[in-house]
Formats: sequence, C-alpha cells, structure tokens
Amino acid sequence: MIINLVILLIIPFLMAGIIKKTKAFWGGRKGAPILQPLYDFIKLLKKDFVISKTTSSIFKIAPVVQIASVLFASMFVPLACGSALINVSAGLVIFAYTLSLGKFVSLISAMDTGSSFEGMGASREACFTTIVEPAFFMLIASIMVLSGNFTFDSLQNILVSAGNYGVLIQIFAVVVLFIMILIEGSRVPVDDPATHLELTMIHEVMILDNSGSDLAFFTWANSIKMFLLSSLIAYIVIPQGLTEWMSIAAYLLVMFIISVVIGTIESAMARFRMSHVFEFVFLMSSFALVVLALVTARMFGG
Amino acid sequence: MNSFFIGIIILLLCGFIAGIFSDKLKIIALSIFTGLASVFCFVPAIKVLLNGEVLIKTFDFNELFGTVNFVIDPLSAFFVAIISVMSLVTVIYANGYLRPYIEKGKNINAHLIFLPMLFASMQAVVTCQNAFMFLICWEIMSLSSFFLVIFENEKKDVLRAGIKYLVFMHISVIFIMIAFALLSVKAGSFDFNAFKSVLGENVHFANSVFALLFIGFGTKAGFVPFHNWLPDGHPAAPSHVSAVMSGVMIKTGIYGILRLISLMGTPAKGIAFAVLVISLVTALYGVLYAITQNDIKRLLAYSSIENIGIIGMGIGVGMLGLAYNHPVVAMLGFAGSMFHILNHSIFKELLFMGAGSVYTKTHTRNIEILGGLIKSMPKTGLLFLTGAVAICGLPPFNGFISEFLIYLGMFKGLLIHNFSSVILILFAIAGLALVGTMALLCFTKAFSIIFLGMPRSASAQKVTRDCEFSMILPMGFLAVMALLIGVLPIFAFVLILSPVSVLMPVVQYNILPTLSIVSVITLYALAFLVFLAVLIIVKVKLTNGKIDMHETWGCGYNRANNHMQYTASSYASPFLSMLNPLFKKVFDVEKPRKLFPHSAHFNFHVEDIEEAYVIEPILKSDEWFLSKFEGLQSGNIQSYIKYGLIFLVIVIIGSLLI
Repeated sequence: MIINLVILLIIPFLMAGIIKKTKAFWGGRKGAPILQPLYDFIKLLKKDFVISKTTSSIFKIAPVVQIASVLFASMFVPLACGSALINVSAGLVIFAYTLSLGKFVSLISAMDTGSSFEGMGASREACFTTIVEPAFFMLIASIMVLSGNFTFDSLQNILVSAGNYGVLIQIFAVVVLFIMILIEGSRVPVDDPATHLELTMIHEVMILDNSGSDLAFFTWANSIKMFLLSSLIAYIVIPQGLTEWMSIAAYLLVMFIISVVIGTIESAMARFRMSHVFEFVFLMSSFALVVLALVTARMFGG
Repeated sequence: MNSFFIGIIILLLCGFIAGIFSDKLKIIALSIFTGLASVFCFVPAIKVLLNGEVLIKTFDFNELFGTVNFVIDPLSAFFVAIISVMSLVTVIYANGYLRPYIEKGKNINAHLIFLPMLFASMQAVVTCQNAFMFLICWEIMSLSSFFLVIFENEKKDVLRAGIKYLVFMHISVIFIMIAFALLSVKAGSFDFNAFKSVLGENVHFANSVFALLFIGFGTKAGFVPFHNWLPDGHPAAPSHVSAVMSGVMIKTGIYGILRLISLMGTPAKGIAFAVLVISLVTALYGVLYAITQNDIKRLLAYSSIENIGIIGMGIGVGMLGLAYNHPVVAMLGFAGSMFHILNHSIFKELLFMGAGSVYTKTHTRNIEILGGLIKSMPKTGLLFLTGAVAICGLPPFNGFISEFLIYLGMFKGLLIHNFSSVILILFAIAGLALVGTMALLCFTKAFSIIFLGMPRSASAQKVTRDCEFSMILPMGFLAVMALLIGVLPIFAFVLILSPVSVLMPVVQYNILPTLSIVSVITLYALAFLVFLAVLIIVKVKLTNGKIDMHETWGCGYNRANNHMQYTASSYASPFLSMLNPLFKKVFDVEKPRKLFPHSAHFNFHVEDIEEAYVIEPILKSDEWFLSKFEGLQSGNIQSYIKYGLIFLVIVIIGSLLI
C-alpha cells in the first residue's frame, strides 16, 4: 500500500511532465524540467487560499473528498503490472462508483461558487460522464465475459481467452481507454489544460476558483485518474509471462508512450468545437460496441 | 399475529380519536398512536424475519368469499417492517409540515383520518392472502391515498392530478381483477395458495396472468408506460404524503409482482427477458425525465420511476436466474431488488421531506428561483445532500449496496451461456451505469441549484432560519440509516435473505461467497472513511487560517449578480440537446420588439412524450365520443325517472330471456 502511494505520488506527475516536455519539443522549446508538475504541487500545498464569498463549506470539503475517492479507487486497479491491491469480483463497480463520488463533489463544488463559467464546466463534465461511463462498463464487462472472471485480471488474459480475436479486441480496448483518458484527463482535443481560462469551459474551468492545496488536490486527482486508466491500458497490452523487472520496464515504457502520444496530439491538433466533442465522445461508445460484437462473435460464432 | 391486528385497529381508529383533540395536539396525538401501532406491527414482522416462522390468522367469511388468511411470511414481514417504520417517520414529519396549514385555519380532520387509514390498508395489502379481501384492501389504499393527494383541494391543478391518479388506479385495478377472476374460477377458491397449483399447470395461462398482473401492479409501482400518474400525483400531494406514497405505497405494486413470482415457481424465459427490458426502459425513461424537470417534486417523482426500474431490473435478473436454473444469479437479483426497495424507501422519503422543508420556507417548488439555501438552512441542506448522494448509488451510502448486488447478479448472469441473455445482460450493465451517471447529473443539478450559489429570487433570499425540530428529526434519522446501511450492509442483508428464500423454490446454493463480499464492503467503507478523515486532518493543517475571502472570479468583473449564475435548465441543456427527439419541448417566448421593447419573456418546459402523444389524443377522442351523450343529462327529473324505468324493463326482459 505504501508502494502504491509512492507510485501515485510520482508517476502521475511524471506523466504530466513528459506531456509538457513533448509539447515543448514539438514547439521547439526547451521546456520545464520533467518533475515541474510535482514541484508545482508541493508549492501549491504551501500557498494561502483565496476563496469566494459565495461559497459554503461544500467548497472546502470537496477537494478532500475528491482526492480521497480517487486514492481509494486506485486500490481496485492493477498498478505496475501486479494484481490490484484489492482484487475482488466486480471491483469494476466499486472503482467506477467511488470515482463517481469524487465527481459528484467536484461538480457541486463548482456550482457552489455561483459562477456561470464554472456552472458551464460542471454541466459539460456531467454530460460527458454520462456517455463515458456506460461505454467503459460495456468494454470491461465484455472482456470479462470472455474469461468468466470478473476481476480486472481478465484484462490480462485477452490473448488466451479470445483466441484469434484477441489482438483485435486488444486494439479496440486500448483505443476506447485512450479516448477515455483524453476525456477524463481533460486533454486536447476534448479540453485544453494549457489555458487556465474560461475558454476551455470543461474540466479546467470547474476549478477556476480553487486555490492553494484545494487546487493541488484537484490537479493531483486529475492526473491520478489519467494514470489509472493508463495502467489499465498497460495491463491489457503487456504480455504475461515476463520476468518481474521486464514487466515493470514494459509498464514504464507504456506509460512513457502514452504520455508522448498525448503530448504529440496536443501539439498537432487544436481543440474540437463543442458539438464535435460530443461526436468524439460517442466514438468511444461505438468502439466499445465493437468490442462487444467481437466478444459475442468469439463466444457464439461457431 | 394478534399484536399485528391490534396495530391495524389502532391505525383505523386513531384518526377519529385525534379529531377530538385541540388543533395543536391533534397531530401529536396522531403521532403517538401511530408510533404505538408501528411497534405492534413491527415486532411480529421482525420476529418473522429473524426466525423464519410464518404467522397465520384465519377469518371466516363463509357466505361472502370463503376463509380469509392473513399471513405474515418473510416476504410480507419485510414490507410490514418497512411500512411500520416509514409511517411513524412520516407522521412525525407531518407535525412540522402541517403546522402552517393549521395556523391558517385549514381543517385537517379528514386528512388525519385518511393518513393512518392508508398505513393500515398498506399493512393489510401486504399480508392478505385472499384475492377478494386483497382487492378490498387495495381499493381502500387507493382511495385513502386519493383523499390525501387532494389535501389542497381548493387548487384546481391539485384536483386534476388527484382525479388523474384515481383514474389510473382504477384502470390498474381492472387488470388485477380480471387476473384474479381468471385464477379463482380455475382454482375454485380465492386463496393465494390455491392459485399456486393453477399457475403451475399451464404455462400459457400463467404467462397471460403474469402479463395482466404486471400491468395492474406495474401501474401502481410506476413502470413505463403505465407511469403517468406519478409525476402529477406527487407534486400535488403534501410532502409527507408524497414521501410515503413514493417511499412505500408504490412498493405495494412491487410486492404484488414479487408475491406472484413466489406463486408461479419457475418463470418462463421470455417473461424474465421482458421484465428486464421493461425495467431497463423504465429506469432510463425515469431518470431522463427527472433531468428535464425543474419542479423539485416532479423531479423526485420521475426519479421514483427510475428507482422502480432499478428494482425491476433486480427482479428481472432474479427471474432470469430462476428460468435458467442459476440459483446464485436469482438470489443476487432478488436480494438486490429487495435491498433497493428498502434503500429507496429511506432516501426517497428523505428527499421528499427535504423538498417539503424547502417548500415550507420558500413556498415554491420551482428550483430555478431558489439558490443559496445551504446558508440559511444548513441542516436541511446537509440532509438533502446525503439523500442525493445515496440515491445516486454512491459509496459509502446505502444506494451503492443494492446497485452493487444487482451488478454482481448481472455479472454472474453473464456466465449463462446463451446468446440473447449475454447480449441483454451486457446492455443492462451498461444501462445501469448510464442510469447511475444520469442520476448523478440529475441530483447534482437539483442539489446545487436549490442549495448552492446565490439566492436567485426574493423568496429564496428571505429565508432566515432552518426548519423546526420535528421536521429535521425524521430526516436526520433517515440520513443516519442511509449511512449505517451503507457502512454495515451485512445486517440488512441477513434480514433480506429470508424474504428472498420465499421467492425461490427449494434450491441449494452457496451463500457464503456473497455474504463475505457484502461483509467486506464494511471494511472498504471504513477504510474510505479513514482515508477521508486523514486527508481532512492534512487539509486542516495545511489551511491553518490562511484564508482570504473575495468575490467569485468573473474574469476581472466584480459585479456578478444572482442572475448571472448557471440555471437548472442550462445545466441540463448539453445533455438534453443530444436526446431531443425523446421529449416534447414546449416554448413560451415573447421576443423583444421595436427599438424600445416593452416586455419580453422566455419560458420553456418539457412534456412527457407519452402524455403528449398517447394520453392526450386518447382523451381528445374520448371527449368527442362522450360529448354525443351530453343530451342525456337534461337536468329534468322526469327524464331521469324515464331512464330508470327503461333500465328496469331491460333487466326484466333480459332475465326472462335467460
């Protein structure tokens, strides 16, 4: 558990750092040190607060609940190629619903400020969640059917349990999860984390009024969420049967690749218009349906 | 069993007795009597749940409809226990809620008679095992709740809603009557036990009876497409009545369905599929319309439809397990649905009471003109928030446990190697996830628009203090229950196992894995709470009083006012814009005209698609048809006597011919 906490404290920030470095590279700049997000985090923890007069105690407690729920949810996901810390049947449900608790409080804390910007961000965030989560459930549940094992371990055995369809299912599963990272981690082309202004209007705008450790908690929670989903990708991609060191190296490599890809996407393209964002989000559901089709084809298709 | 009847008799009489007391003492007297009756009913029920024995009391009505058995078996006991507790909680709340009406000089005597009568009839409905007597109790229940709904009968729309409710209930009772008539003719007796063998004989007969009864009971429960009375009935009723109707009374419909399943034995596969699909549609439909509503009680009514859908999904999964002979799936499904019945009665009562408290203080149900109430009503706000989190099924509250059990049942159901069941269950899993997230959207909207931000109107502004103790107390009790069951689900789960066993014919399964999962949730919940506590301490240390208060950030604009806040409609709009064809939007717009516009307004609400495209056309055509007979009502007494004479002649001739 201590190791998990250390991983959660470092790798999410490293990933954020690598993304920024990649963007700097494509932009022809030198960029900040890779650990800069971690330094920012520590600095923010020490800062004073500026809090809106409109807010109530909800606003103060929300960041804590958000980070607690994200940290708690992380115990149900396999990190660093081992099984999850708590590896139970239907752990998926506990994972997703605990994250939802965090989302609930972050939404109401945004609404607590009475700001129209933050209201707008909250409403869009809530809207995206309604599309993302069913697709996520459908994807993971479909994969679970194959192996008949309802823990996250089933993600690792796709090649074994799905036979010929294995590679295809892996590819689509990775695509779905990657789109989910872009949405939940509020990255381009869904959202733009670089402009800390109302223009982005989704996740980033929800935390306009947070400061000090509140802001630190929110940004940390967000990078952990991204990291957890990346871990699921790593769990799907990395083949079984590697030695321990090999698999940890492969895990770090996958994390690195995901960060670089996100950074590259952010350098290469602009944010979608809001109406196109919805189409992009629905892409995730369609790919999840493809996985479902592949799974049933494998199970019942002769 | 005798104590149960003492309880019912107290309930039937206490309304009349309460009328004797002075205005101030009336409801207090009623609360005491109801409390007494609740204890009398609750004790035998809890005994049955713990020991599993069955209590029977037989009355003999030879000439009329044979012997009437009142039976408390575990399934009935479960409902009796819920009804007992919730009726007491409701009456205590009514103390505070009715006070302003009494002070205004409204006569509430009739209300005080029908409220305990509703409780008594519900208790009788869930214990009576004779079809004829059941229908009588069912009718008393419908009628007494009708009189409760039209409490504010001087308002026209309240009366309209009440009559709509009455009509729906009578359409539903027709279906139940037909089904019971079919059954009793075949069985030669009105007793439920006699129905059992009849239902086992012929599959097609059993299926058609199930369909009839599902429509009948489903109308009470609020399954789509028979749900239409709920969103009108609940807002019209006073809040404690809507709380008890939504929290408990609609569950009698679910009880009917469960009782039927217990009589049917193994259901047909098609029926199980149908129940699952209808329930999924119900849940999605309910929560979608809940998002569209800006009237808090209509929103809660639609959310009841959603939760009935979730309960139905559990039942569907359970039936699927029975049909495919998968006892663990069946157990998980039924247990999940039973658990959700309990949970829903807790948090929906809590939320309706919260809505009622807000209404008492602000005199409006329109959430668009509320806001910032958490500062003037902190306790109500916190309790409403508890209910909102619980109803979204979020840990560590009780809603999570029941949804988790249903998910678990569905996951286990995926192991049934059958193409259609795998596909259906996968969609049901995604559907339940969708329902959960939509509920999240719905209740973040409801809570934050009512309680957070700045007051959006004078009526929200002028609230100065929180509700009185008699309104806070029952809500507090329910909120504590929601958290306790969420943290310690194992106790409730053990109580639920014996009613579940009634639904399942003798099958053996290993209960231990499920028990261990349910009990380990306690550990997780505690771990989470510890996490939270540690982090709060960290945060307090970090804060250390270094707080600056300023205006909300408005891009440098410091004069933001309450009209610039996000509204409920705009909060829901991105989501709803994706689903435009699924509802009818009604706009009322007056655009600003000319150089110096005098007035302009914009108003819009969402109409139920079923109401707009099915019910209204039917009513219109009915009106046309019935208007042909208007001439019969001449107001002339001679012609009425003439009608009577014609009728008599027809009867005499008819009986001679036969």
